Amino acid sequence: MGSRGFPVRRTLTGYAFLAPSLIGVGGFLLVPVLVVIVLSLHRWDLVSPARWVGLDNYAGLLDDLAFWQSMLITGMFVAIVVPLQVVLGLLAAVLLDRRLPGSVVFRTIFVLPWISAPLALGVVWRWIFDPSDGAVNRLTGVRIEWLSDPDLALPAVAAVTVWHYTGYVALFFLAGLAGVPAQYHEAARIDGANALQTFRLITLPLFRPTTFFVVVTSLLTTFQTFDLVYAMTRGGPAGATDVIASLIHREGFVEFRMGRAAAMSVVLLLLLITVTVGQQLHFRRRTTYEVS
Amino acid sequence: MWSRTVANTVTYLLLGLGALITLAPCLLSVQTSLKTPQQFAAASPFAPPAPPSTGSYAALTVGEHTLFPPLVITMQVVIVVVLGQLTCSVLAAYAFACLDLPGREWLFRVYLGTLTVPLTATLVPRFVLVSGLGLRDTFAGIVLPTLFGSPYAIFLLRQFFRGIPADLLDAARIDGAGHLRVLRHVVLPLSRPVLATLLIITVVTHWNEFLWPLIITSGERWRVLTVAVSALQSQHNGDWTLVMAATTLATCPLLILFVLFQKHIVRSITITGLK
Repeated sequence: MGSRGFPVRRTLTGYAFLAPSLIGVGGFLLVPVLVVIVLSLHRWDLVSPARWVGLDNYAGLLDDLAFWQSMLITGMFVAIVVPLQVVLGLLAAVLLDRRLPGSVVFRTIFVLPWISAPLALGVVWRWIFDPSDGAVNRLTGVRIEWLSDPDLALPAVAAVTVWHYTGYVALFFLAGLAGVPAQYHEAARIDGANALQTFRLITLPLFRPTTFFVVVTSLLTTFQTFDLVYAMTRGGPAGATDVIASLIHREGFVEFRMGRAAAMSVVLLLLLITVTVGQQLHFRRRTTYEVS
Repeated sequence: MWSRTVANTVTYLLLGLGALITLAPCLLSVQTSLKTPQQFAAASPFAPPAPPSTGSYAALTVGEHTLFPPLVITMQVVIVVVLGQLTCSVLAAYAFACLDLPGREWLFRVYLGTLTVPLTATLVPRFVLVSGLGLRDTFAGIVLPTLFGSPYAIFLLRQFFRGIPADLLDAARIDGAGHLRVLRHVVLPLSRPVLATLLIITVVTHWNEFLWPLIITSGERWRVLTVAVSALQSQHNGDWTLVMAATTLATCPLLILFVLFQKHIVRSITITGLK
């Protein structure tokens, strides 16, 4: 320990190591959180000087139908995508975990969409759902306006989102399943439990940390979906797929209403922090008796 | 025995169905990219191209719609961000894990807290900051926000560095090695798995990044691949053979990488996920 030098020098050396990341974390994560709050109290179109308007942007959001519609649509989108993704991901993981010959090939295939750019995949699906040239309508022989019918567009985009992330979710469940000790299953079988009972009574409870992680990640990503929506519908038709990220993008970078876009960002920020904290409390309460 | 056979059959049927749903759109798009617009209009989307045509790819590589400049810019962005982010994250993680500093734990908790900040919510202020620096529509503007390390990488590296026996580090220091030497010759060689993991995650994230380059650049000069594909799709809406070739070109490099390093990547994803 003798070669460590004086505390002052040691402190300076340490902070020299931290300096670049302080620019990154401070300048591009912490400062933006403060800036977005300040911006949300201004009116600004990027050209003329910003003007202080107090809480006007928030009051404006309360009266704004497009904002409420977007919140509703985001909620519906999340409510379709997250449960489906989690259930299908779990199913895929359980099937892969049987480790039949060829499982590795299936696992590789399931992860492929996640590796690919969502923007590019969205463009592919835009073609697949195309009313006249698309594969779905050519296969069924029925002309359906998948992406321009306000009732069908959201389910279609949601289905593609599930398609995109399910393999990724399955990987996490697969890692979680590998962590359940085999002798628990053995013991349950000797006690006469069938496969379904073993899964419900042994696997699922031991699985809670994995489930927590998957549900939270899945919620956080789904609330922020942008690329797939942009590529498939641009938020249309008539705002039917205008999720919150899509609305923020348009307000800020198409309409250049930075103050309003900032106010929406603050709402999103609060919403997602609530989701994370809420999930944490919920799962903590239910996992107290668990062996970890 | 009989019930096992049934279970196995059902497993394969479901896995096969899943694989079909996963792959069919991708295969159909590759198949479409190999048709001429006439072939595409004349036959079913499920019919193989007869004969395969590389016209769309010619237009996208050497022809009028060349994706070559966006490809080069994307590669530059990925290389710069990966090098910058990993270097800065390694330095920070070393300080957090191995150096005795006043305020270390407090600062680390602040870093951890930033993990909960959703990036979409900071889009507007990041744009304002980068514009304020005069870097809108520049290469620096694209890479700057993610260049200086990510809290996620720092967290993961710190966990790993803390597992390295302190005796090993002290021994090196007693031999007169400075921190940078300890880092380079003791810590980093031991951390290859976690570095590989971060490398993969960072490459995938930044190769596929769309929203930030979309808003911070304008025009063609600094277009990355995702933005170029999106622009091509809006300009040539309905010209599906060309557009499908573009999506194939944009996704191919990563898919090849994935198939080559398949095992490693799958392990990486699960390690980073389960922290």
